[in-house]
Amino acid sequence: MTRTADLIADVAAVLLSEDQIQEKVAELGRRISADYAGRELTLVSVLKGSLPFMADLMRAITIPVQIDLMEVSSYGGTATESSGLVRILKDLSSSIDGHHVLIVEDIIDTGLTLNYLVRYLRGKNPASLRICTLLDKPARRLVEIPIDYRGFEIPDQFVIGYGLDYGERYRNLRFVGVLRPEVYTSPA
Amino acid sequence: MTDARPRPAFAHASEAELARILDFYEVGWEYEPHTFPILFDRQGAVLESFSPDFYLPDLDLYVELTTLKQRLVRKKNRKLRRLRELYPGLRIKLLYARDFRALLLKYGRIALADALSGAVGQATPDRDAAGVLTAAGDGTSTAGARPRPVALPMASTPDPGASSPPAAPGDPAARADAAALRDPVAAPRAARRSSPTHPRRPRRTRSEARARAAARAAAVPATEEPT
Repeated sequence: MTRTADLIADVAAVLLSEDQIQEKVAELGRRISADYAGRELTLVSVLKGSLPFMADLMRAITIPVQIDLMEVSSYGGTATESSGLVRILKDLSSSIDGHHVLIVEDIIDTGLTLNYLVRYLRGKNPASLRICTLLDKPARRLVEIPIDYRGFEIPDQFVIGYGLDYGERYRNLRFVGVLRPEVYTSPA
Repeated sequence: MTDARPRPAFAHASEAELARILDFYEVGWEYEPHTFPILFDRQGAVLESFSPDFYLPDLDLYVELTTLKQRLVRKKNRKLRRLRELYPGLRIKLLYARDFRALLLKYGRIALADALSGAVGQATPDRDAAGVLTAAGDGTSTAGARPRPVALPMASTPDPGASSPPAAPGDPAARADAAALRDPVAAPRAARRSSPTHPRRPRRTRSEARARAAARAAAVPATEEPT
């Protein structure tokens, strides 16, 4: 089992420190609380990467919120070869019909997953549907999707930590870092 | 969605992979549906045209994918600039080799990147009867002659982790490996082309060909003269 010390050794640089992240999360929480004041808000988090962001963001929001979780298969995962199509691995637990929904994402790069999710959730008739992401990597964008709440715009580098993984590792780092290229270019 | 329509003949394995990704996320696409003239002579005849690899109708976006090394894409960049000048309303995204690698890395398929990039991932272009290369495979064409994509059936890729160490690009074995990734059925054929144990028949020289043709003609019984 890889120890945390090894995880940190794989980080080429810290892109966003824990303090920077928490400051931004607090700011986003304040904005969302103000924008949705007087309305019932449902936060929909997309597993697994957005889990830490969701946990921090919901506590930074001061109005009543409901939360729900979704997980969709990613291309290249085990579901790819069998179906060839994105699959909902975990659907919403309750209806969002008539609810104000805010999708909480860890990172948006190509926009392919989010584009699929937005179409899927729109089909469930929410009163409104908006998007909040901690990280935005516009250089990789294929599908342009309007982002309502953006934490940081980041450069075109492979980042890990604060929920983001490479091979299911590094999610538990408290900061966002750039992964050393040799980690993913050297043979396993 | 994935299997409901016939697959186009992709010119490059990376294009087939991108098509699979788009299919996976249910993003509609068309393969090289439009050709845009980008250079004309003084009479207005088209000297050069550009056919972006993909059109995503739902997003009204063209996508051009190039897996050539960065230093080799200058020509394509120039053509893309020209395209944008002539068709300013056109939305086009150019995916470079590094972008494609990042895409594969994101989806845990970085091991495929080398096999699907550059010349290794390129479908073997056809040659016509005169031996003229007919498939450019870079999305560009000259004098209005569109590059003819070479058939490249879609195939699921084997587990990259299970593959043997990659051969050097340009190595016949590497070409055979790449062909196997693209089309396991056709792989033995590619291996035969490449294998030193199955050498190709040497090409005949022109004089040899003329001599053989003359011998064949002499062996054919004379037919009646047309009336």
